[in-house]
This record gives sequence, C-alpha cells and structure tokens, in this order.
Amino acid sequence: MAYNAKTGKGLGRFYSANHRAFTHREWKGVADTLYDFGRWLKLYSFITVKLGVHPILMIKAMKRYRWMISYLTAANMIDRHTMGLRGKELRYTHEEFYPIMRYTIIKLRDIIVRDAHLRPKSKRAAKLRANTVMFDEMTPSIIMAGFPTVNWLDIGMFTIGEPGEVDQFANLYYIDVIERYGMPADVCPLPAAEAGVAVVNDYPIVGSCYITSSMPCDGSIGQTTFLVRYLKDKNIDVFQITPPQRFNEPEVQEYAVANLKKCIEFIENKMNVKWDWDAFWEGAKMYNETTKYIMNKWDINCTDYPQVCGAAQALHREYEFQEVACLDPYFVKNDRKVDKMMMKGYRQDVKNDANKPRYRAIVWACPAHYYTNFTYWAQHCWGVKTLVDMECMLSYHMFHIGDKEQAMIDMAKSYERMMMRSHTNGGYINSLDECWKMCEKFNADIVIMYDHVSCKNVGCLHGLYEDQAREHGVHLIWVPHDLMDTRTVSRKAMRDSFNNYMFNVFRAKPLDPTLVDYEDALTW
Amino acid sequence: MKVKDLKHLYYFEKLLEEANNELVRQAKNEGGIALGYTCFHMPEVLLNIGKCFSVRLRAPQMGSMEIATYYMSNGSCEYCRALLERAMEGSYKFLDAMAGVDACEAMNRCMENMELLKINDPEKKNFFWTNVDVPYSDDEDCVRHLTEQLRRKILHPLHDKFGVDISESEIRKAVAEHNEVCRLITEIGEFRKIENPVSTGYEFHVLTLATYVCPKYLIIDKLRETLEELKSREPDKKKKFRVKVVMVGSEVDDPDLIKLIEDTGALVVADRFCYGSFPGRQQIVLNDSEDVLTQIVRKNLKETECPRHCALHKIKYRYDRAAQLFEEFHADGIIYEQMKFCTYWSYERTLASHVISEEYEIPTLSIDRPYRSGMSGQLRTRVQAFVESLEIKKIKARQGLKRQGEE
Repeated sequence: MAYNAKTGKGLGRFYSANHRAFTHREWKGVADTLYDFGRWLKLYSFITVKLGVHPILMIKAMKRYRWMISYLTAANMIDRHTMGLRGKELRYTHEEFYPIMRYTIIKLRDIIVRDAHLRPKSKRAAKLRANTVMFDEMTPSIIMAGFPTVNWLDIGMFTIGEPGEVDQFANLYYIDVIERYGMPADVCPLPAAEAGVAVVNDYPIVGSCYITSSMPCDGSIGQTTFLVRYLKDKNIDVFQITPPQRFNEPEVQEYAVANLKKCIEFIENKMNVKWDWDAFWEGAKMYNETTKYIMNKWDINCTDYPQVCGAAQALHREYEFQEVACLDPYFVKNDRKVDKMMMKGYRQDVKNDANKPRYRAIVWACPAHYYTNFTYWAQHCWGVKTLVDMECMLSYHMFHIGDKEQAMIDMAKSYERMMMRSHTNGGYINSLDECWKMCEKFNADIVIMYDHVSCKNVGCLHGLYEDQAREHGVHLIWVPHDLMDTRTVSRKAMRDSFNNYMFNVFRAKPLDPTLVDYEDALTW
Repeated sequence: MKVKDLKHLYYFEKLLEEANNELVRQAKNEGGIALGYTCFHMPEVLLNIGKCFSVRLRAPQMGSMEIATYYMSNGSCEYCRALLERAMEGSYKFLDAMAGVDACEAMNRCMENMELLKINDPEKKNFFWTNVDVPYSDDEDCVRHLTEQLRRKILHPLHDKFGVDISESEIRKAVAEHNEVCRLITEIGEFRKIENPVSTGYEFHVLTLATYVCPKYLIIDKLRETLEELKSREPDKKKKFRVKVVMVGSEVDDPDLIKLIEDTGALVVADRFCYGSFPGRQQIVLNDSEDVLTQIVRKNLKETECPRHCALHKIKYRYDRAAQLFEEFHADGIIYEQMKFCTYWSYERTLASHVISEEYEIPTLSIDRPYRSGMSGQLRTRVQAFVESLEIKKIKARQGLKRQGEE
C-alpha cells in the first residue's frame, strides 16, 4: 500500500489542480523504482528508434493531426496505471502495457510513412497504400491473417479510440466538431467523435480500401454513414461486414459465414491476392494461444489469490484482440512470459496466504475511455480489486486448426463476440444474466457498473439491473461517465459516486484518504 | 366556404385513442389473434395470416413516463419508453404475442423490459415473445437470413401455438388484403399531389395510422367510402396553406404533430417516416415462381428507409427517395425530423440535412422532438420560421423571373 499513515502521505499528493503532469515521481523503494525507470527507458528508446528516424514526418503529422499530439503523453498513461503498485503487480502491469505501446509506435510509423495527407506526392507512400487495407474498429481484422502479403491498419483505433485513453482531452475537439455540424449531444461520443474526424478530414489515408462493420451499437452504424461518404469522396471502396445480432442462435451462422466470405472476396479483388490458408492457420494458432492465456488469467482471478487484475488485464486483451487481431508474435511471446510470472505469483500467494483482496469486484458495461485507471484508483483508495472487466471478456472461442469450413464459423463466432458486442448484442441474456453469472464465477459481490450516460443499449436495462442486483444480493455501484467526454462527467465526479457508496453503504474507511478527494481535471 | 370534414374522420380519430380500440376488441371477440409489433422491419403482412391481425403499438395520450424512465434511463428513445410505460399500465394485455425485431437498441430493450417485467396477460398460456434478427443490408444472403428468422420465429410459433394455417395460399390471401389497404391509402395519398389538395396531411396521417393499428378487414369499407368521398370533395377556394413540405424521419405516431406543422401553414404532402405511408403502404407484387415469404422479405429489405442500413447504395437510396417525393408531391421543402434520443436518426438527420440542402438544393429544416410534441411552442416557432423562409424564397424566385422577363 502506498499510503503512509504516519506521515499522511498518499498517492493523492501527486496530483495538482494546476498541472497536467504529476507533481513528482513516486518513490517505490530501490528495486521497484529502478524497475520502473528501466521500463520508462525501454519505452522511450523504442520510440526513438522507430519514430525518431522520421523527424520531419513526425512534426508534419503532429501539425496535421490533433489526435497525434496526444500520443506524446503515452508514458504518463503508463504512470497513471502503475502508480502505487509494487512488486509483482507492478511488473504484471508494465508487461501488459508495453506490447500495446510497442505495437502503437510501430503502427504510427506505418501511418506516417504511407499517409496521403502527409505525403501526397511520394511514390513510395503510394506504393505502400496500394498494398494496405484500412479497417474500422470492431471489425474481424483477423481476416488479414489469410493475406500475409497485404498490410492493414485500424484507422479508427489510432485516431480516436486509443488517443482518448491516453489523454482525456484527445477527443473533445472532434466531439465539438460533430455537434456543431448538427449532431445531438446525447449520442455516444465515441462514434460521434469518429464522425467528427471525418468532417474535419483528420483520418490518415493509408490504404486503398476500407473494411467497416455494423458493430457494436447503433452509434457505430451511424458513424459508418459518415465514413462511407468521406471515403467515397477519396475514391476508396468500402465493404461493410454486417454480422447477425442474435449470435447465440446456431442458425444465424450460415449468414455470418456467407458475409465473411464476401469480405474475403472483396479484399482478394481489391488487392489482387488470394486467400492463403497456411498463413491463416498460423494466425489462428496465435489467436488460440493468446485466448488460452487470457482464460488462464480469469481462472486464477476466480481464486482467492487473483493476480493480473484491473486495466492491465482488460486493456491488454482489448488491444490484443481489437487492434492487433492477435497477429503480433510479440504479444504472444509476452503473454507466455506473463503467464509464467502469474503462475509463480499465484503459487507464492497460496503458500503465504497473502494478497487476498479486501473487496472483490467485477467491472460491467462500457468503461470511460478517459479514465482507464479508475479500477486502480478503486484498489488504492478502497481496496476494491477488479478481477475482470466486461470489455475484455470478449470472444474466447477457439479456432479449429485445419478444418476450413469450421474455421469460417469460428471466425464468425469470434467476431460476433467482439468487444462490447459480446454483451450488448444478442439479447439481455448476454448482458444481464451474464453479469450475475460472472459475479458467481469470480466470487465477487461488487459490480462496478459503468453508467455511460449516452449508451442507450445498457441504459435501457438500467432498472432491470437495479432490480436483479437486489435479488442477487450484489452491490451494484453505478459510476456515471460519458465515455470520451470528460466535460459531461469528470473523473472526480466518477470517484465521488463510488466514494458515496463506500462511505454510506459499506461504512468503509479508505485505505488511502488522500485519494478520496483530489482534483485531476487538468491531468492527461 | 369551409371544406367539409371527412365523414369518418372522427371515427378514425377515436380508433387512435387507445391500443385496444373498438375494432381490436371486435376482432378479438370474433376469435382473432392479436399480434403486437412496432417496426417496419417486421413484415406486417405476416402478422395478418388467417385469424391473426397486427397491431402496431402506440402509446396515445401518454403523460408521465416515470416508471419507464427508471427502467430505461432518461437518455433513451421516448417512443420506446412510452410503450413500456403503457405496457406496465396493462394496456397491451389484450395481445396474444409480441413480434419484436432487433432493429434498434431502444426498441429491442423495450421489448425485453416488457418480457422480463411480464406485462403480458398470464392467462394467455400460448403467448409468445420473439425477437427477429434483422440484417443490416439487402443482398440475397440477407434475404435468406431474414426468411429463415421469420419462418422459425413467427410462422412456426403461430402454427404451433395457435394452429394458424401458414401455407403459401394463406400468406397470399393476407397479401391480397394488405394490397387492398395499400391501394386505397395510395389512391387517397395521390390527392396530395394536386395543386390544391383535397385532404390535409393530418387527415391522411389519421387514416394511415388507423390501417396500422386496426384489423384490416374491419376498416376497408370505411377507407373505400373515404376514397369515394375525397373524389368529390371540393377544397377551399382560397388555399389554407402557405407552403408544401415532405416529412422525413423517425417514428411519428401522433397526428397532433402533423397538425402542429400544418397550423403554421406547411401542408404535409408526403409522409416518409415510420408509421407513415412511405414505406409501408406500397402493394406487394408477387410472382408465382418463388416462395412467397422470400418475396415479401426481399421487398421489405429493399424498401426499408431506416438509417440502420448504411451501405453506400442504401444511403443514396434514402436521399434520392426524399428528393423524389419532394418532386412528385410538388413540395417546397423537406422537414427532417427525429425522435429525441434516436441514435440512427440523429446521424441520418444531421448528415442528410446538409446533403439534401447543399447537394440536392432542397430547402431543409432539421428538428428533433419529444414523443408527444403536438403542443411544443418551440417546435411551432421553428416550423413557422421555415415556412417564412420558404415563402421568401418563392417571392425572390418570382421577382427574379419578373426581372428576367423585363430584361
């Protein structure tokens, strides 16, 4: 625990109402501080090696794209998540975050070297674009495992999704743009911001065609109407994957497979390549292996001695599945390493009967992009440990390697249960019933229930959650937020909701009183 | 001289005052099976096979929606909340089944809330809930998918639970009846194309709505009479409207909204919104070579104008369709409206209001509105301003022509 009762010093002292950065770095003891610094050095070295070689392009990119500037605060994002952590938990978190940052840096480099906005006359950039498929987020990009000679980039995640998690101010400009264009302020700010990026022409044009989908919600579909139009003006053809909604029904898979096959055909025709099954199996094996590791994490977290918790577990899996499509060997290697570390840590805790959480919680519904470290705050302030996050409980359906027909069904099942969609589509059974099932499985009696005020999907189940939580004897702690728009519900307001519940219902005392009330409206 | 009221207008208006109206009760007494539904994506004709009859759900004269707001939060579609509130009041207990669709989140969740809160009559042992998975596009894979869904989730349960004959010939009979209603509504609607229309948008909306919420066979005669009446109806010599508009947008099941718009001087000549006649009141032309269900599904998917379809060709289809109605009905402008908190229409209205006015060069008003908006002063002011802007445009156009003539 980072709080010192004698001195009264806690983690709250690192925040200042007048500064974006932390006031100073945390002293974690010699070993942990050195480790922390080593990771920091590793990250910056990698940035220097990969992006430092393109200084002019980087400057151009930062002048051209607002969202690009937010990546400068990436190290601060890691600090937010590792603050207060010690020993193996600190190491788990760094290990889980580093592959995300590493992959992001590589892909940012890929974006700047081929972007038509930055390099309109470059023949090399044009050649690279000709061999790249652009993807929207929430698309089954694992399809690209079958096209090993073609590159792909998820332009949705890099422009809006990830910057919003790195920097709480990253998306505000684009939200304002789209609202000024006429969009009501009540729609989910994520797709709204994505539409805003299209309105101000801030998408990098890095490929020759675009794959989008109808996932995971109505807002996402609405956003597609803007994107389709935006890309049409740039002569970029679009294919929209339209998966079935009622994916628990076996009958719908025939349609889902037909739809996927059309997507493959589209890419084959556009890129003049053929689907390569051998390459696909290699990708599917990586997917299976990473899936096995996340399931291991869940299994361990069901015990009395949870290990990889909170945002480290959640964000790692979300990015691994969503942005990377489980196709980066570095992620697989890293997962193996963390799995070993986790098992060792678990055995130690069992032996010493140590590190049992004060409160066991699961996170449900869509978390705030601008406050990904909320679960760490809950852990440090109140001792509430987050064992699993709904958003990372996405597909855990394995591919049947070698069976071509079945593999298509596997792919359909995998993306039908993608982030968010896995729980918000297919009927209340996937949202409501699944929540209570997970409480039981993880032996949790607290649900940190993210109340995304613009999410109609979960919002429309609000009363049923309340009613059923009482029936199940579960503490449902509503934490309001507005996903990407910190002006609607600030981080402090989110904490206040949680504090109120802990003080008034649990009658609990905070582990770190300096974290109960502090101002971080300005921090990244 | 003031134009005479339509003979059956009051009767039709009365039918819209409650979901379980006089004709619904009559059909139930005659052994009919009442099937509730909400959305165009549930092919209405399939709910009218044999003894079945469809009732498209509304929540007329809705006041407070406190309980539904607790269940569905205050940021969700007011139409869906109104339905849930009305359901919890027990107003839909007369239904024998509920045919839902996964078309939009709020509608889907509304049905699920109803199901979990058990708003149906527990005495009806054969009652069933269903949610049909509606695809997001209109290609042949989508047609096959939806056909399978409807067969499994609608036709088979109707047969198994109520003994309904779901043969091809019975479906064809339902199509024939549906087509007759569509023919009558279309013919009545055609009167809105003439220079000085003999009916108002309000009257037309009342008639159209009645066809959605009443058993078809019980209103056909009065629709026929109304059509005949309109053929000989004399409009006011002096036009009572200042401009003509096409209404495009999300769900409008409240004729008072149309009345409010028309009171400002804007005659609503075409109704391209959910519960309107475009789409929904176009005849289904069947061939003899293909399965009837597939043909119905294909038509439904092709003609939907719901913004949940966002492939480029479907977006263009919607814009073109709005422009086509504008031309055909000789309108002066388009009002794009949306139910507040409707995500699909938030996007569609925002983009379309730019595209239609800038690229199609059609004057457009863009509004969002609550479920019950017949008394909204704010809305009235906005429509009045739009009417004035259209009039100014007309005056300027006339002046321009005059000047050209002088030159």
